[in-house]
Amino acid sequence: MLDLEPTEEHLAVAELARGLGLELLSPAAREAEAEQAVPEGVWRTLFETGLTVPVPEEFGGGGIPDTVTQMIAVEGLAYGDAGITLAAIWSGSAALLLARHGTEEQTALLRELAGNPDSRAAVALYEGHGRAPAEFTTSISRTADGSWRVQGRKVAVAFADRADPLIVVGVEPETGKLRAVFVPPSDPGVVIAADGRGLALDAAPTATVSFDVTVPADNLVGVAEDDAVALANTVGRIRLAVAAAQVGTAQRAVEYAAQYATERIAFGRPIAGFQGVSFPLAEAQIRIEAARLEIAEAATLLDGGEYGDRTETVTRVVNYAGEVAAEATRTAVQTLGGHGFIVEHPVELWYRTAAALSALDFDPLCSSFEPAL
Amino acid sequence: MSLDFALSKPLVDYGRAVKEWSATECRPYAREADDRHAPPANWPEILDTSPVPLGRVDKPEAGQVPDFDEGYWVTKLVFTESIGYGDIWVSPTLGSGIGHLVVESMGTPEQLEKWYEPVVSSGLPTGFALTEPQFGTDTSMVATTATRDGDSWVLNGSKIFCSSGASSEYVVVFATTDKSLGAKGINAFVVPKGTPGFVVTRPNEHKLGIRSWGTSALAFDDCAIPLENRLGWTADGSVPAKRSGQSGALGALAYNRPNMAALATGLAQASLDVAGEILAGQKAGFTPRRWSAVEAELTNMNHALERGRRLNYKAQYLVDAGKPDRALAAMGKGYSPQTCERVIRRCIQLLGPEGTSQDLLLEKWYRDVKIMDIFEGSGQAQRIVVGRTLMGRVAG
Ligand SMILES: Cc1cc2nc3c(=O)[nH]c(=O)nc-3n(C[C@H](O)[C@H](O)[C@H](O)COP(=O)(O)OP(=O)(O)OC[C@H]3O[C@@H](n4cnc5c(N)ncnc54)[C@H](O)[C@@H]3O)c2cc1C
Repeated sequence: MLDLEPTEEHLAVAELARGLGLELLSPAAREAEAEQAVPEGVWRTLFETGLTVPVPEEFGGGGIPDTVTQMIAVEGLAYGDAGITLAAIWSGSAALLLARHGTEEQTALLRELAGNPDSRAAVALYEGHGRAPAEFTTSISRTADGSWRVQGRKVAVAFADRADPLIVVGVEPETGKLRAVFVPPSDPGVVIAADGRGLALDAAPTATVSFDVTVPADNLVGVAEDDAVALANTVGRIRLAVAAAQVGTAQRAVEYAAQYATERIAFGRPIAGFQGVSFPLAEAQIRIEAARLEIAEAATLLDGGEYGDRTETVTRVVNYAGEVAAEATRTAVQTLGGHGFIVEHPVELWYRTAAALSALDFDPLCSSFEPAL
Repeated sequence: MSLDFALSKPLVDYGRAVKEWSATECRPYAREADDRHAPPANWPEILDTSPVPLGRVDKPEAGQVPDFDEGYWVTKLVFTESIGYGDIWVSPTLGSGIGHLVVESMGTPEQLEKWYEPVVSSGLPTGFALTEPQFGTDTSMVATTATRDGDSWVLNGSKIFCSSGASSEYVVVFATTDKSLGAKGINAFVVPKGTPGFVVTRPNEHKLGIRSWGTSALAFDDCAIPLENRLGWTADGSVPAKRSGQSGALGALAYNRPNMAALATGLAQASLDVAGEILAGQKAGFTPRRWSAVEAELTNMNHALERGRRLNYKAQYLVDAGKPDRALAAMGKGYSPQTCERVIRRCIQLLGPEGTSQDLLLEKWYRDVKIMDIFEGSGQAQRIVVGRTLMGRVAG
C-alpha cells in the first residue's frame, strides 16, 4: 500500500545529517578542497556519528541503517558539502560490503574500521565508459589452484594508496558473476596513478588503479557460492549514494539562490519577482523532488524482500540526479549573476561539484544531449 | 542572388590559421594562466609565433587584422572564436576591451578622433565601468555621481567587475549627473588611467573561471576630469548627447554580444574536438550501442554549435551592412552560451571521471564558459530584448 510518510527514524536522521552538513561540513568545504583532505577534526566528528561507516553493533558500530535511511543521511550531509560527504562514504563503503558479504573471519576487520577514525578503506568500483557493474571488464577469475586473478582498470578510486582494505569489484568471466576481492594496494601488480586535482571533489584523493594480480582463495569477499545478486544490490547502494549527494548539493544551491533572489533588488523589486529568475529555480526544485523520490524508491527496492537485480534502476536514477544537480547548480550561479561567479559565494563550488559528480557514473544511454534552445 | 552561408575563402583561411595557431601555441599555457590568474608571463613571445597578423596592442608593427570582404564585425566574430578556441587567456592580451565602443556609439567627432580611432587602430584595452555593487542588469540604478565643478566633472562612487579595469588606457565610467532624472541622468565619462582620484581597489577577483582576465573593483574619489570627457558633449558643454548614457552603454554592448557568444563557441568547439579525439582512442572500451550513442552525441553537439554560429553571423552581418538589429544580437548571445555550457559538460561526462581532471582542460573550460551567459547582458536580459521586439515594453 502506498505509504510516503517518513518514519521517525528518517526524520531524526535527516535532521541530524543536515545539521552536521550545515555546521560541520559546509564551513570546512573550502579547506578540504584546498588541502585535498578532510580536516582531521571534521573527519573524526563525522566518523563518530556512525553515519558514514555502517558497521553492525556487534562489531562496535552503530548498526547498518536501511538504504532509505542511509540515502537520507547522505543527502543531508551533502547539503553541507558533497566532497567531504563522499570522501567519508566511499571510505565507509568497504565496511558496508564486508558487513553484508564477508565471511566470519573477514568481518573481524570491521572492529578496526568502526573503532579507528584514522582507518581508510576503499572499494574500487567505477570503470567509466558507461559500464554498469555486470559489464565491468575487470575480471576476477579463479586459477587452477583456487586463487583469484584480478585484471582490469578502475577509475576514481578514493584513498587507493592507503586503503586497508582495498576491495575490487569485478566480474568472473567463467560464470558472469559479480565478485569482490581483497587486493593489497602494495602488491607490485597494483599500479596506482594518483589523479591530482580536478574540477571538484578534491577532499577525497582519488586514483586510477590498474590491476594484474593474483590473490589467495580466501581473499574473495564471502564464498564462491554466494549469491551475486545480493552483492550487486550492495554495489547499487554504494552507487546510489552519489545520487543522494547530488540531490543534497542541488537542494542547497537552489535554496541559497532562492534566498538571494528575495533580497537582490533590480527594476524596483526583488529579482524573485521575475519569472526569468523564479521559474528556473522552481523547475530545479520540481526536478529535485522527482529525483529524491526516485532515489527513495530505488532504495526501497534495494532493501526490499522481493528478489531481483536493481542495477538498471540505480543507473537510471544516478544519471537523472546527475543532470538535475548539474542544471540546478548552474541555475543557482545564474541567479546570482556576476556575484555567482565569484568565490565569495559558494554557488560556484556547487556548480563544479555537481558537474564533476555527474561524470562519475555516467551512461550515455540514459539521456541525450539537449541544447538549451 | 541567392543566400550564401559560406564565408569567403580568404576569411576562412585566416580564421583557420588563427585557430590552429591558438590551439598549438597558446593552449599549452592555459593551465598556467588559470593558476597565475594572469596571462603567461611570456605572452608577447607567444603572440610572436602567430603566422598571421593579430592586430596586437603591444606591437602594432606586427600587423593589423586584415580587411576581408565580409566587413569588420563578421571578421571580428571569426577572429574571436578562433582565438578562444586555443584558450580563454589569449583574448584580453589582444585588447578586447569595450569602453571604446561607447565612445563610438556616443562620442562627438572630436571624441571619436581622440579616443576611438587610436584604440581601434592600436587595439589598446579600454574599460567599461557600469556595474556597481548594488546592480548589474538594472542599469538605471547607477549611484556613482558626476558633479560639475567649474571646468571639471568630479566623479564619486565605486564600480565592480570592470574587465581589464586595472590595465586599461582609459575607463568609460557611467555616472549620474542628476539622480532625479533616473536613467536619463546617466552619462558616460572617459577617465584615463592615472587620473588622480581614480583608484583600483581590487585588481582581480577570485573567480570560478576566466581567472586570467582582470576583473577589477574601482573607486572614484573626487576624481576630476575635463568637461570634454563627457561623451556626446564638447568642452563648452553646449552640444546635447546623441543618446543618453544608458542607451549608449547598451547600444555599445549590443555590438559586442555576439563576440561573447563566439568565445563560448570557441571553448565548446575545443572541448568537442579534444573529447572527440580522446574518445576515438577509447572506442574499444565502449559497447557498440554506447559507442553509437557517443557518436550521435558528438554530431548533435556540433550541429547545436552551428545553429548558434548562424544567429551570430547574421547579427554581425547586419552590423557590417549598416542595419544593426539588437534582437538578432540578443538571439545569438541568448542561444550560444547556455548551449555551450551543456556541450562542455556533456563532453566531460562522455569522458567519465577522467574528463574532470585538471590534466585536461575541459574542467577549466566548463568554469570559463559560465560567465558568457552572465556578463554583457545575462541570458534573461537577452530574452527580454527579444521578447520586447515581439511584445513591446509590456514584455517582462
Ligand atoms: C568576470 C566578470 C566580468 C565583468 N565585466 C564587466 C565589465 O567589464 N563592465 C561592467 O560594467 N560589468 C562587468 N561585469 C558585470 C556583469 O555585467 C554583471 O554581473 C551582469 O550584468 C549581471 O549583473 P549582476 O551581477 O548585478 O546581476 P543582477 O542584475 O543582480 O541579476 C541577477 C539575476 O537576475 C536576473 N534578472 C535581473 N533582472 C531580471 C529581469 N527583469 N527579468 C529576468 N531576470 C532578471 C539576471 O539575469 C541574473 O540572473 C562583469 C562580471 C563578471 C563576473
